[in-house]
Amino acid sequence: MTRPVPLPVAEGPYPPTEEMLSAPVPPEERERGTAELRAAWKTPQGWRYFSAVNNTEVGIWYALTAFGFMLLAGLLALAMRVQLAFPGMTFLDADRFNQFFTMHGSAMMFLFAVPMFEAISILLLPAFLGARDMPFPRLSAYGYWCFLIGGCFVMGSLLFDAGPKAGWFMYPPLATEEEGVGPDIWLLGLSFIEVASIAAAVELIVGALKCRPPGMRINIMPLYAWYVMVVGAMILFAFPPLIAGDFLFELQRSFNWPFFDPERGGDPILWQHLFWIFGHPEVYIVFLPSIAIAAMIVPTVARRPIVGYSWIVLSAVGTGFLSFGLWVHHMFTTGLPQISLGFFSAASEAVVIPTGIQLFAFIATLMVGRVRMTLPMLWIAGALAIFVAGGLTGVMLAIVPFNWAAHDSYFIVAHLHYTLFGGMVFPLIAGVYYFYPFFAKKLLSERLGRWAFWLIFTGFNVTFLPMHLTGLMGMPRRVFNYPESAGWGTLNLISSIGAFVVAAGFAVFVYDLLRPKSRQGQIPRNPWGAGTLEFSHDVPEEAWGVRSVPYITSRYPLWDQPEVVERMDAGRYYLQDAPDLQRETIVTSVIDAKPIYVQRVTGPAWITILAALFTGGAFIFPTFHIYKPAIVCGAFAIACVLYWLWTSTARPQEADMREAGLGLRLPRFASGPDAVGWWAMWITMLGDATAFASIVFGFFFYWTARPDFPPADAEHAIGVWVAATALLGVLAWAATLLAREVNRRGKVMLARGALVLAPLSAAAAAGAAWLAVRDLDPVSHVYPAILWALMVWLVVHLGAGIIMQCYCLAGSLFAKVTPRHDADLRNVTLYWHFVALKAVVTAAVLGLVPGWLP
Amino acid sequence: MTEINENEDARAFRSEAVSLWRITFGPLIWALHFTASYAATAVICAKGAPGAVDGLRLGIGVGTAVALIAIIWLGWQAWRQWDLVRDRDWENDQGTGEDRHQFLGHAAFLLAVISFIGVCYVALPALLIGSCQ
Repeated sequence: MTRPVPLPVAEGPYPPTEEMLSAPVPPEERERGTAELRAAWKTPQGWRYFSAVNNTEVGIWYALTAFGFMLLAGLLALAMRVQLAFPGMTFLDADRFNQFFTMHGSAMMFLFAVPMFEAISILLLPAFLGARDMPFPRLSAYGYWCFLIGGCFVMGSLLFDAGPKAGWFMYPPLATEEEGVGPDIWLLGLSFIEVASIAAAVELIVGALKCRPPGMRINIMPLYAWYVMVVGAMILFAFPPLIAGDFLFELQRSFNWPFFDPERGGDPILWQHLFWIFGHPEVYIVFLPSIAIAAMIVPTVARRPIVGYSWIVLSAVGTGFLSFGLWVHHMFTTGLPQISLGFFSAASEAVVIPTGIQLFAFIATLMVGRVRMTLPMLWIAGALAIFVAGGLTGVMLAIVPFNWAAHDSYFIVAHLHYTLFGGMVFPLIAGVYYFYPFFAKKLLSERLGRWAFWLIFTGFNVTFLPMHLTGLMGMPRRVFNYPESAGWGTLNLISSIGAFVVAAGFAVFVYDLLRPKSRQGQIPRNPWGAGTLEFSHDVPEEAWGVRSVPYITSRYPLWDQPEVVERMDAGRYYLQDAPDLQRETIVTSVIDAKPIYVQRVTGPAWITILAALFTGGAFIFPTFHIYKPAIVCGAFAIACVLYWLWTSTARPQEADMREAGLGLRLPRFASGPDAVGWWAMWITMLGDATAFASIVFGFFFYWTARPDFPPADAEHAIGVWVAATALLGVLAWAATLLAREVNRRGKVMLARGALVLAPLSAAAAAGAAWLAVRDLDPVSHVYPAILWALMVWLVVHLGAGIIMQCYCLAGSLFAKVTPRHDADLRNVTLYWHFVALKAVVTAAVLGLVPGWLP
Repeated sequence: MTEINENEDARAFRSEAVSLWRITFGPLIWALHFTASYAATAVICAKGAPGAVDGLRLGIGVGTAVALIAIIWLGWQAWRQWDLVRDRDWENDQGTGEDRHQFLGHAAFLLAVISFIGVCYVALPALLIGSCQ
């Protein structure tokens, strides 16, 4: 058989010349393009509105939902402040107080801070990049619906007095021993939301890497996109350890596997490590995107480009790295060796440097510019003031002896609220004021905005400044009551009054946000005079994102390329029409943003909601120890996802090429590293591998922490089956790789044969892994338990791999996967690289390591 | 006429691979040095003989020296790529291939500086603290 013709590559002139750009588009062509784009990007009407997947709709729902959860969590805080206003109050009993502070922290972190970053990024990132939409709109929609279901489930537990009450960090043994379903709701509900967070992170990273407009090289992309990439990467490496921890924790709660039970060789400190490897970077995961908003606002109000663009990139990347070296500063009092504490103290101090550089770059920009004190700038100024105060107490707390003194007191509460209000809440509200004209096509009230600012700013300081004092006077956190003799009464009363002032400020803000503004009339297009692409948006609103995808040569195109908006509107750039009435966006190369191909983007669908509902069932039923319906739901969720992948992604197109405008002809299909799907798989696998590494870390942690690991008389995994696991796993990988290679060369039958062998071999590997540990009793000791956990993890991944291999086989049989259109097969092979690695590492830990341990 | 090549991403990555490595390697060396120091301390303090701490401190000292030399070398390479002395271009804000190349050098240089400081910080406790307890 002859080798098939390779996929075409881009043809035609690029980059466009000034002459080409100034050539007018004939009016009839322009009108045709406008009509086609309008039809392709039409927002569904009526009750179908909720089937929308476009980034503007999903982003707004996401942001409003996260904001709603924030208000609920704020109400919990108010209730706690009422309880603490006077000594001996009986407004809340101890049990309810515990539920409230646990849920306040959990909701603010998992239901507000991280989802809010993703909501805002989904909403804004395509606009910053002049893209039509995110690369995987249905994934965003799926993530949103998962978030909504999971959030309501976790928050709703309070109504049934069933909320978790061991603190948002869920330390064992308190949380593992807790009666009722509270901890299960926390673990499963929030794991479910973490899955959605990771999905959104993948979407955002790929969006920032591959959906930039032609010409927007890596050195001129908006700072927001840099931050999105850094934060997305941080989510990928920070959340998986927590998911691994949740996995072990839930195995203990449901099946009594003793990971955190010292009686049977477990160790509660492992949870603290896994939790804080997530929990500390988490602080920066919420801080950096908000600072990114500041990085967009500051140049606009200073009316000049940001000073030290490279320095801010350095700070974002540097903070991202260093923030992973800080987790133990939450564990200074757990009895670790002094030298170890020293490392973490030092790293905690070091992170101040890049954080400080960002702030100084902003101040420098403001100093050299001509600043207008607009409302967004007022909030940014408030943020800088509050954040600097929080950062200073952070430097104090990073010093081990001071930390011992202030540990678990209200000083910590004051510090963390100063950093989170200054580092996240204030910049975020500044962003709402700044971007409101972009997404709502209206302006918020200047007067109400100033009222809200001064109420929140004053109230915040009245609430939290005294807590530094109450903390140093010894008031412990997380205690619902205190005696009059303690002498903290007055300061607590001041704090409680302040909390209500903050609440009043939020009430003003919410009123301004939600009040009808139909009488306001049409706003100007770029009300702040900004220089970045999002303010080229259409007023009144059009759903297509940009009328034509521009060619960008500057960091502030609206300032430096004076004709860019007019030319975008006139359809003189790329993709100015939609001849198939399909949604499309242009995909460019990662470094220099050269156009590579035109990606068809998925449109409205109900399947995403259905998939989210079933995924919810798979997570929520096990909370109540009901497993059969959970398995059924899981199967349906997988079926839904497969259905949407099969029907609308990576399908061969009728025509190979698309006239993209300005004489450029682009392919309509890409495979491998050119394609967005390949990047999504690669990025997801990095996160997945991190979770796996966390479980392997657990194995070695037990070895250092426990003298009896593995116990002297322990039974070990059966060597023959361990070896078979590794061999069969590698065979399944090799068969997949073979399928990819021979398929590419046109030997379709051979590829199909390999795709039959591959899942059989993978299934045999899973069976061998089970046989290897079958005789060990995971309930008896942590050593067999962690071997079982590794086995379960591997078997689940082999199972997913089998589904993917069968998907490719079916694709080949039904002409979805052909020698030229092999994107699915290449992505699945990429997945299998990681599974093969997992099989080998698992086999080594199961079979080899126990013999080597001294 | 067109500047777009077959497998554009793979080609561009080959040409800029070195600069991208430089950007990640500075902080990565910090991370490896940090992890190795922490893991070695955890193991020695849990399983080591009483006198093993001196060996640990010596090991961390040697590791620090190696890490710092590697970072200085990366920083020097990145400094040359940034090419500040010749063209005095601090911003590299043009949409040209040259500016993109120099920008990557600038970012890598700055990250090398911050990684250098980070490694020094992490080495300090081993210099100052002589025992696990």
